Amino acid sequence: MTSATTTRRGPATASGHYRFGQVARMEWIKLRSVRSTGWLLVFVVLAMIGTGIGVGAGYRSHLPVATAAQIVNNSLGGAALAQLLIGALGVLIATSEYSSGIIRATLAAIPHRGLVLVAKLVTFGAVAFPVGELAAFAAYAAGQATIAGSPVPHASLGDPAVLRPVLLTGAYLGLIGLIGLGLGTATRHTGGGIGALFGVLVVPMFVLVIFGPAGLAAAKFVPMFILANSVAVVTPVPGCLSAWAGIGVLCLYAAVALGLGGRLLVRRDA
Amino acid sequence: MIEVRGLVKRYGTTLAVDRLSFDVRPGIVTGFLGPNGSGKSTTVRLILGLAAPDAGGVRIDGRRYRDLAWPLREVGALLEGGVYHPGRTARAHLLALAASNGIRRSRVDEVLGIVGLTDVAGRRVGKFSLGMAQRLGIAAALLGNPGVLLLDEPVNGLDPEGIRWIRDLLKSLAGQGRVVFVSSHLISEMALTADHLVVIGQGRLLADTSVRELAARSDSLEDSFLQLTVSSTEYRGTGAPLTDPTDGNHDPMARSA
Repeated sequence: MTSATTTRRGPATASGHYRFGQVARMEWIKLRSVRSTGWLLVFVVLAMIGTGIGVGAGYRSHLPVATAAQIVNNSLGGAALAQLLIGALGVLIATSEYSSGIIRATLAAIPHRGLVLVAKLVTFGAVAFPVGELAAFAAYAAGQATIAGSPVPHASLGDPAVLRPVLLTGAYLGLIGLIGLGLGTATRHTGGGIGALFGVLVVPMFVLVIFGPAGLAAAKFVPMFILANSVAVVTPVPGCLSAWAGIGVLCLYAAVALGLGGRLLVRRDA
Repeated sequence: MIEVRGLVKRYGTTLAVDRLSFDVRPGIVTGFLGPNGSGKSTTVRLILGLAAPDAGGVRIDGRRYRDLAWPLREVGALLEGGVYHPGRTARAHLLALAASNGIRRSRVDEVLGIVGLTDVAGRRVGKFSLGMAQRLGIAAALLGNPGVLLLDEPVNGLDPEGIRWIRDLLKSLAGQGRVVFVSSHLISEMALTADHLVVIGQGRLLADTSVRELAARSDSLEDSFLQLTVSSTEYRGTGAPLTDPTDGNHDPMARSA
């Protein structure tokens, strides 16, 4: 078998240098060659569709008859669960490298650590955002299909006030995935990363509500609160962020989480 | 060539690597010996840029590791303790690494053949025995056909046939003019495989010499090694005939007497 190694000479004479394209290819192969990626994404879509169907079925014979906006808002309610699944996937993409030790092979192959995180961000984002959108539109469609033939009025995606929450709920899910990736990179442990994600997404809301109106002024910046009151609703709740401002705040959180993760990745020993 | 110069690595108050300097030359197998906890794995991680030194540095063919254009085509490493996602197949693992350094896909099947894993290439690595995982690690090290090979405890988990195989492989790789640096705590294995030895204890260089010269210092290579490392072995059975008179007060048997 030894003779099968190619004969050999001095140092390698390959031209050029590794670039983003090669690193992204590596991350793409890693992402799709692990079963948990597919399963978690399937559950994200199922959680959204299931809620859409449940909401539609529940309102079919509900009195008083629901409004079109109520059906749209509630059909997107599955995002409360789906965000935890896609966020957990983001955490796992980073932390499974540490629990398995493959991070050392990754960083030995690509010593430019910042480039590794950017490649993870781009490849996961390229999956998380389309899947988030697919899930949101499927949830909307499931809700509409289930109320067919009942007195409940249908909504139309031609109406910008309906299209916006569906579109932005998908974007919200993608952004939560990226926040998970940043927190996973920063914590390096699955338990710690998912705990941090839960702590960021949901926990502050329950704490801040205790403080009454003053707490509410702060709570409107909590992701889960943004989802329920700004993003996944036909008419954002008065006093809360607008839908686009809410998504802007989420983008900021993702940038902070990924920036923190990247800084720690570059500075710490692997 | 690997040039290690004045390398220092501290973990809290522990000095894991203490002003370590040595060269690893091409064309021969260089063994990296030391008792458990002597800093071998830390040194390998420092060479690969996985950990940052507190002082000193490493050059590989004159360059720092992080400045290598295609790291896997220049340095192949087998790291201790497994570096595979258990849910990924052996082939996918190698394909990902190959992609990162622009290595052609057909090379993946070549290295799977070299290490004898062709038949299980589609199996998930979590189902692999220790010996199979070790062979996969060696396949990953050979992937870029590198001129420098760093192997941390390569015989771990291998059966006698596998040990013979890796010994022959290392010798043939060195014979092709490559740098082959193999860490181990098994003196008998190094006696059979290595031409040159770098011996460390408590992070310090204890010897940098040929196997023949070190063996000639005492009755056997093992005796020479144990004499070298006697003061730097961290854990020792109390019944061992080797006792260091300078730290006799650490002996629990002496205290109870």
